Amino acid sequence: MPEGTLCNKRPVNTKEELQALLADKSGKTYYEEMNRLEVDPKVLQATLRRTFRSRFRTWLDMCAHCGLCAESCFLYLANKRDPRQVPSYKIQSTLGEIVRRKGRVDNTFMQAAMETAWAKCTCCNRCALYCPFGIDMGVMFSYLRGLCFSQGFVPWELKIGSGMHRIYRAQMDVTVEDWVETCSWMAEEYEDDWPGLAIPVDKEGADIMYTVNAREPKHYPEDLAEAAILFHIAGEDWTVPSEGWEETSLAMFAGDWEACRLQVESVYGAMARLKPRRMVVTECGHAYRATVIEGPYWAGIKTGKPPVESIHYVEWVAEALRTGKLKVDPARKIKEPVTYQDSCNYIRNAGLSKCARQIMGYIAEDFREMKPTREHNFCCGGGGGFNGLGRFREQRNIGLKVKMEQIRATGAKLVVSPCHNCWDAIRDLEEIYEVGVKWSFLKPLLISMVEVPEHLTPKDE
Amino acid sequence: MYQLVTGPLAWLSFGVFFIGMLVRVVLYIKGLDTQLDRVTYRVNVAYGLRGALRSVVRWLIPFGTRSWRINPGFTLVFFLFHVCLIGAPLFVQAHSILLKERWGFGLPTVSDATADLMTAGVVVAGVLLLLRRIALPEVRFISTAYDYLLLAIAVAPFLTGFLAYHSAPGYRFWLIAHILCGQIMLVAIPLTKLNHFALFFLSRAQIGMDFGIKRGGMKGTGMPW
Amino acid sequence: MFKRILFATTASPSCDHAARVAFDLAQRYGAELMVLHVLGIPTRGFSQYVVDVRTGEEVIYDEDYLQWVKEEMKNTYAKQIAQCGACTLEALPGVPHTEILRAARKKDADLIVMGPSSKEGVGDSRAHRRAAGSTLQAVAKGARCPVLVIARAAASFWGGFSNIVFGTDFSKASDSAFLFAYRIARNLHCTLHLFHALDITSTHTGKLLEQDEIEGSIREARKKMQDRYVSRMKDLDDYELEVWEGIPYVEIVKYARENYADLIVMAHHTREPDPERAMLGSTMEQVVLRATCPVASVNRPDKVKDDG
Repeated sequence: MPEGTLCNKRPVNTKEELQALLADKSGKTYYEEMNRLEVDPKVLQATLRRTFRSRFRTWLDMCAHCGLCAESCFLYLANKRDPRQVPSYKIQSTLGEIVRRKGRVDNTFMQAAMETAWAKCTCCNRCALYCPFGIDMGVMFSYLRGLCFSQGFVPWELKIGSGMHRIYRAQMDVTVEDWVETCSWMAEEYEDDWPGLAIPVDKEGADIMYTVNAREPKHYPEDLAEAAILFHIAGEDWTVPSEGWEETSLAMFAGDWEACRLQVESVYGAMARLKPRRMVVTECGHAYRATVIEGPYWAGIKTGKPPVESIHYVEWVAEALRTGKLKVDPARKIKEPVTYQDSCNYIRNAGLSKCARQIMGYIAEDFREMKPTREHNFCCGGGGGFNGLGRFREQRNIGLKVKMEQIRATGAKLVVSPCHNCWDAIRDLEEIYEVGVKWSFLKPLLISMVEVPEHLTPKDE
Repeated sequence: MYQLVTGPLAWLSFGVFFIGMLVRVVLYIKGLDTQLDRVTYRVNVAYGLRGALRSVVRWLIPFGTRSWRINPGFTLVFFLFHVCLIGAPLFVQAHSILLKERWGFGLPTVSDATADLMTAGVVVAGVLLLLRRIALPEVRFISTAYDYLLLAIAVAPFLTGFLAYHSAPGYRFWLIAHILCGQIMLVAIPLTKLNHFALFFLSRAQIGMDFGIKRGGMKGTGMPW
Repeated sequence: MFKRILFATTASPSCDHAARVAFDLAQRYGAELMVLHVLGIPTRGFSQYVVDVRTGEEVIYDEDYLQWVKEEMKNTYAKQIAQCGACTLEALPGVPHTEILRAARKKDADLIVMGPSSKEGVGDSRAHRRAAGSTLQAVAKGARCPVLVIARAAASFWGGFSNIVFGTDFSKASDSAFLFAYRIARNLHCTLHLFHALDITSTHTGKLLEQDEIEGSIREARKKMQDRYVSRMKDLDDYELEVWEGIPYVEIVKYARENYADLIVMAHHTREPDPERAMLGSTMEQVVLRATCPVASVNRPDKVKDDG
């Protein structure tokens, strides 16, 4: 059956294919070709037979249509309680149908399934907390994304994204040379202000191996510098790997399981080579979820844990504050009302809400919780790749409303948001709805308020 | 007629019920896969058990989870319905007597008044659930004829039983009807969504293990329900 | 004197004066010139969107957009490019100061030329303005080489200079600025004015100073300048030395005006990690905005070591 040059069932594996896709403005040709892409029911059926087991089958069969999931879903609420946004309906009308029809579905159906999987669900897993049967529609949508991807029905930006991971083992085209060079650059540039600052690369047996989001070296290298400064102040014995330095996973958003495996294996490879005591992940939610929580399974690790103990940045910060490695100057704590964005991937799906509250206790005087909060907090509106999908921008902008209302209701002037995608979502909602808030990662806030030990202050001229 | 329903049909329906549920449970457990589900069932067992238990127990307590708490009306009706639905057939005197006659042992029983209340509870709750399903747009939209049918199958034995026990006119009819309705329900349990009879526990245990092992349980925070 | 020049432009009319100087310099010294335009601020998380630096609109960054921007650049500087020898055009997304510094490092530039930091013209979203701070300030702080800022039409061209003002605050960075000023004065055979502004603003000292105190400080400063700078000026006799008290940037601008300065050379450095707070306290930025001539910021000795 004919497939397009840009839109087809093959994942992107070469730089040429990647360039070709990137050159297609907003995926115009890609989506045109998608209209002619044929579904291969036999392959779909075979995939289902191989991977669709009793957990999913039971979930789809046993749904009692009670509707409790409706109010748990921010997209249902943001879309004025449109019944077509009820999670049960969303999954039943897509994955449920594919299963019922044993994969015999057509192009129109798959494009609608694509829209549902990527624009009507961010896989935030909030519905799992509200369903009496514990049906996790977020997990099923992730599975559906995998089915769609395998048939070539994936949004343009994510086809590129998973291609990036396949080619660069990072979500952006940052090579190992670029990465190492950026590390030395940042160390040099900030050394004047922080004597002795260094970003050690490939140090073996360090206490901490630090991995990042590729956007940081590519566009925001100060993040690296800030992380280095904080490790420096805390006196940590740390390093970054030259390979396996990136731990995000657009491939996970895309449903490209093979690329997911390749990506996490590069990080685990670094762990094996450098043998750190533990790994610290930068302020990114899905990176933690992909590399630490889901990753071991993609890589076939029987214990379900990464080769080395791995913690999210908020865990490291909480520990540093608790043990006094980082001391906050009480005069410089955040005085204005501040709230905290509980990112789904490391709060709801990883149980770190306590760490976050510990941190806020140290750094803020007027901390206000959103309602609902912690594991029950809503998705920022941009998760699961939603922020980046041009075709579904409008739906994403509507989805931001719920988070916007939550922030407004707290009366906070600052939102602490230790996750790249949440950061973007809050920036966008401020741009669109003008709530009047600032938002920040933890690193710059901490640097502005921690006490610097005497021996680390620069000598005056 | 009576002979038929209390004889071969009874055997058949109970047989289907027990064997069917057993098959369901076994198939479910067999169909779990560490790699595909991305949950280590056999490793981190302590966390898994703790997660599974919390998941099941919290949801068995009215207002034990946030979901129950933010839907108080529904929670009350739900628990009324299910507690009575399970309690009445088990503890009603008429059934205990039959058991004793047939199998030599009986179950603890409740008074007639209580039995009546429980039966009424099922019917009333059933009607409220029906009204809810029709009235709330998000529920109505996803409801199918199948859902309404299942509700009817679940409530029918209680309605007919009530009528039969209180010697309503046409007692004989109501008795047969009650027995048949009960048998239909028994057969429906393994064969339809009513299999949540057992799968509720399994599914909840599974998601409890998922969160307990993988999604937060091991970092020491409580379950998110 | 310069071998590799990086001209960072917003490719808009506000950079025309800077462009003129940059191309002129490249020609005069036979230097490689790289014209860099940072066209849009990317998101933090996954997305193809960038906020266009000029319009403040969100656009999708792709090959098309990039080519269009490069075409515009080519047209804007068509004349100068024709006359220039080794000139490359580069446009890419990023946070402006980051990409400018990155390019300077990669190319091992020995001079960065920039236009004014026009907050009105930049047009990026409120959010980004808050987050990014001033491009100029960040570049000046981080650059290893001198940064030459041309905010207004230069009355004279490079080569026709008569007066160079070197403003010092006696910091280590000022030593590097001195070396740069000295080299240029020697190279272009003009008068080097060594100037120190004695800061007497009450916010700085917390009280009003007695006149005796002020004059005492002035004498001290003059002596310092003799020891620190004049002693190192071996091949240059044509110099002046002055210390005025007042608000530093005001005094520098006044002095430059009085002496018909063609170039002001200063150090610019700050330890304040919060860019917003630092911005307000920056003497150099104020001088850039108000001076009638180009201003060079020099922080580090890397590219100003005397090589004759």
